[in-house]
Amino acid sequence: MAEFNVNLRGVGSVSVIDVKGYLDAHTAPELENIFNKLLDERQFKVVVNFDELKYISSAGLGVFMAYVETMRENKGDIKFSNMKENVYNIFDLLGFPILYEFYKEEKEAVYKFGDQR
Amino acid sequence: MQQLDNNAALRNFSALVDFSNLINSTLDLNFSLNNILLTCFGKFHTTKGMIALLNDEKYFEVKVSKGISNNIISKFPKITIHNYETSGELSSYIEENNFPIVQDIKSSEGLKGILILGQRLTGKDYEEEDINFLKTILNVGSTAIENSIMVEKLKRVNRDLDAKVNQLSSLFDLSKEFSGILQIEMVSKMLVYSLIGQMLVSKYAVISCAANTLHFLDNRFDENHLRNSLKQCESNQFTKPLTRNELIDKYKPFAEVGVDLIVPMQIKGETKGLILLGKRKNELQYTKSDIEFVSSVGSLAIISIENARLFKETLEKQRLEKDLETARNIQNNLLPKSIPKLSNFEIAAFNKSARMVGGDYYDIVKLEENKVLFAIADVSGKGVPAALLMANIQAFLKSICKMKMQLAEATGLMNDLVAENTTMGSFITFFWGIIDNAKKELTYVNAGHNPPLHIRNYNITKLKKGGMILGVMETMIPYISETVRLESGDAIILFTDGITEAMNDKWEEFSDERLETLALQKYEESAQNILAHIKFNVEDFTHGAEQSDDITSLVIKVK
Repeated sequence: MAEFNVNLRGVGSVSVIDVKGYLDAHTAPELENIFNKLLDERQFKVVVNFDELKYISSAGLGVFMAYVETMRENKGDIKFSNMKENVYNIFDLLGFPILYEFYKEEKEAVYKFGDQR
Repeated sequence: MQQLDNNAALRNFSALVDFSNLINSTLDLNFSLNNILLTCFGKFHTTKGMIALLNDEKYFEVKVSKGISNNIISKFPKITIHNYETSGELSSYIEENNFPIVQDIKSSEGLKGILILGQRLTGKDYEEEDINFLKTILNVGSTAIENSIMVEKLKRVNRDLDAKVNQLSSLFDLSKEFSGILQIEMVSKMLVYSLIGQMLVSKYAVISCAANTLHFLDNRFDENHLRNSLKQCESNQFTKPLTRNELIDKYKPFAEVGVDLIVPMQIKGETKGLILLGKRKNELQYTKSDIEFVSSVGSLAIISIENARLFKETLEKQRLEKDLETARNIQNNLLPKSIPKLSNFEIAAFNKSARMVGGDYYDIVKLEENKVLFAIADVSGKGVPAALLMANIQAFLKSICKMKMQLAEATGLMNDLVAENTTMGSFITFFWGIIDNAKKELTYVNAGHNPPLHIRNYNITKLKKGGMILGVMETMIPYISETVRLESGDAIILFTDGITEAMNDKWEEFSDERLETLALQKYEESAQNILAHIKFNVEDFTHGAEQSDDITSLVIKVK
């Protein structure tokens, strides 16, 4: 069974989600739980750190589509950072780069939220 | 003079070599086009130029330009490979904007595009020698352009292929996941995530249609609007995918809610569900390949959803069957376990339900020494509701017995209780009587039950006195009872309509006549034997046909 781990931490007013392992249809609900938790806590500024993510399927991408609008409606966003090339390629293939911001480093992504204040 | 010409030729030649080296060192189309223009600018001292290439539809499209305003570029005529020489649009465009040079760019494969250049800064005309040089540049350049175009095409094809591979692996993933899940909510969740991830949508709905009712498994549209729209359009009329234009034309309400694509989920050509998707976030329309993907994922999902539904149904059915079995046991316990022994009478009874639980009822209760009460009843309907009502009757009967009332009066009370405790339309045919062992008497009340047969000396009397069936309304007219003196050898046969209406495979009923004939033939035998004959004859008659109603019979024989 493919492993997937998700961890939530705060960096200032920004919530950083670390995803690790394989994010697919099977493991997507775990990530979904984290997003639901963020909505409950009214945390809308989110950076997803992909540093340790090995694989993502389109169902995994779907989770981001499901929540990005709510985040943006509440003056937040979902930004991506530290993505490996093979993972980025899937995002790119499905046209995500025109809709989402991608950063090399988590710091930059977090910093960008600072700009919007 | 000769020297001068040679120098010029040498310069041209070295420029050409430079150009050739440069342009063949890259596969970047824009870089190649830029270089062709810049080389021309440098060589001919002009500041204006553009290159238009033929696109896949064979129209000319300006790919690169320098020194020319966007306004002029935007007015570039819409010409194709077939009419660019004949239509005159190109020549008037060139005249208007004072472009002295138009050259075809041709490769071994044919026309690739055209190059247009503006006036020379020196004010001189382009010489024949210049045109020749230009042609040479374009000859060299055209191959580079063609290669670059090929590479771009390949990249595009590659990307399309990558996208297809991704869709396939997504499908593969899902089919693996779906097959293991028996929860409808999980299946629909996975379906949704795959769709919105793959299609870049944030508005969607997944609806399953089972037994003509719609279940919204997931929905991000306005639910009321959507329900209304679906009411207007029957779900089973969605047999193929509908895209934006068809929705606007024929299913306006959906388009108004923001639905951009409807894909039916089908099993064996029957629509079992719908996937509705909103506009894509990248503003693109759904392509044929996208719709195919949605369709494939949908088919996978609906099979899982259907499996999950059937699984749930089976579980529920199993639970229900278990409940029924319990009910059956309880009901069996309601029927008398033993029959009181009397010195002057023999009593035998038999009951068989058509379903697990039934609506027929009989009871035999010893009231006091020498007095036994017996009853037979048929509750309208069958199955669980009838059985529940029957259980009520049994309870009423047991309590009324203790009150030591007259039978007629007790029947009135029984009717009131039943009428109060049943819903509209339920009723009970009911017969009860008290045997006096010492006096050899029978006192009975018949509340609408099939009249029991009293047989004496090969003669049948029907026990009909009483009143209305139980449960229709409160007792208005009192029930009346009758007391019958009994003699040795008399037989009384009580039965429910399950016996007289038992059907054979030719749709014939066992009938009162058959029962009466049988009664006359066998009434001299013992109660147990008479009952056995009735059972045997009914079973023999209906042989092979399914028992459709409960069967109950009671036989009383006077010793």
